[in-house]
Amino acid sequence: MLSNVDLAFARGDVTEIVGRNGAGKSTLLRLLAGLLRPVDGTISERPDVVGYAPERFPVDQPFTVADYLRHMARIRRTDPGAVQTWAERLGMDHLLGHRLADLSKGSAHKVGLAQALLGGPGLLILDEPFAGLDAATRAELPLIIREVAERGGLVVVSDHQGDLRGFPDLRRIEVGGTTAREVAPEVAGAEPDDPADSGPPEAVTILEVVVTLSRARELADRLRGEGHTVRISEAEVAE
Amino acid sequence: MIALTRFRLAAYVRSHRAFQPLIGLLVLLAILYGAPLPPGAELGAMADSAAILIPVFAWAARGLLDNEPDEQRMIAITAVGRREAVVGLGAAWIFNAGLAAISFAVLTLRLSARPEVAAVLAGIGLHLIAILVGTTLGALTSRPVLSSPAASTLALLLGYLAVLLLSLTGLPWLTVPLMLWMREAHQGELLAHFPALAAWSLLWPLIGLAAYGRLRRTRP
Repeated sequence: MLSNVDLAFARGDVTEIVGRNGAGKSTLLRLLAGLLRPVDGTISERPDVVGYAPERFPVDQPFTVADYLRHMARIRRTDPGAVQTWAERLGMDHLLGHRLADLSKGSAHKVGLAQALLGGPGLLILDEPFAGLDAATRAELPLIIREVAERGGLVVVSDHQGDLRGFPDLRRIEVGGTTAREVAPEVAGAEPDDPADSGPPEAVTILEVVVTLSRARELADRLRGEGHTVRISEAEVAE
Repeated sequence: MIALTRFRLAAYVRSHRAFQPLIGLLVLLAILYGAPLPPGAELGAMADSAAILIPVFAWAARGLLDNEPDEQRMIAITAVGRREAVVGLGAAWIFNAGLAAISFAVLTLRLSARPEVAAVLAGIGLHLIAILVGTTLGALTSRPVLSSPAASTLALLLGYLAVLLLSLTGLPWLTVPLMLWMREAHQGELLAHFPALAAWSLLWPLIGLAAYGRLRRTRP
């Protein structure tokens, strides 16, 4: 249960919701999405088009990925041709003919993201969007979020894994102790159970990673997305 | 709303869960129409059919509404807003209209004499009301309202029995007067009282639908 919550969002805001497991992050997201109504108080001026990607996409549905997304496109009164675009962007165009029930967790999660993005949401709510995603999609998703924000959309993300750290102008809201409040970026994200995020700033070090050339850029994007400085050296054949 | 209705109907039919009430319907039809219906029994048979099929309609409505995973229902709400509940009821009503059409077709084939037009219209009217009653009962026992499958099944069966028993008592106005439908139809008095009986029969499902709408406000 959340109380004494007073939050305001502006167009183009990208907001990260942080907090311990069970603190109420998903409840806050559902309130913002209009799925739950506050017992007391109001949520006003919610954008008309809301995209919502749940934490666990429901695969127990008798459709292929393409059929499902085309249905969702029609329900959202958008061009079914957008399905192919988002499928390619999220790296799942090869899955379009697969049955939802046969998808892996990560692939199912991509379907959840794709349906939320259909229709050009003015409010995009993503509940743990990075969970189970492959590296390429993890790197692509911040770019998609940025595009939604740049055209005036409002993005609210529950991101327990901290994949949006380093995102420019990211707002952070901490949920806990029956309330939700905005916190400074350097304080939020600090999970009490995550020692890497607590205490004074640590000294930096250089970590060398050997990776195949084809995956180097993808990994670099991912690490940059997590706020690390990445330099790619000349290609060489590892012995 | 049409797109969401089509999506839900497609999901229900493709899931094969739609066969459960369909099989229940076929069993009932085999029992009801094992022998041809004698001349003069047309309207009585139609009233019996409408009243007896209500639990099948309720079962189908609950099945269709519960077929959709909770998270998918959340996605539907973000797509179409609170009209999602209306779409669910509409999809259930359409599916039940299909079941009623099958039943009516079988009934017509088993008639020994050509029925009066007024009797056919009254029979269709009773089936339309029965679909509404069944859909309402199914909706009120669907997962957003009753999360336990066992409690939901029990509530559906007891709800129908309660309607039947209350309509047998001296206070039939407390419920949908199913027994009155059947009694008056068999005694040849239904056509004379049909408008008042229909209005009375519609009152309770409309109250039930209002209650469902109210409950769904806090149970997405």
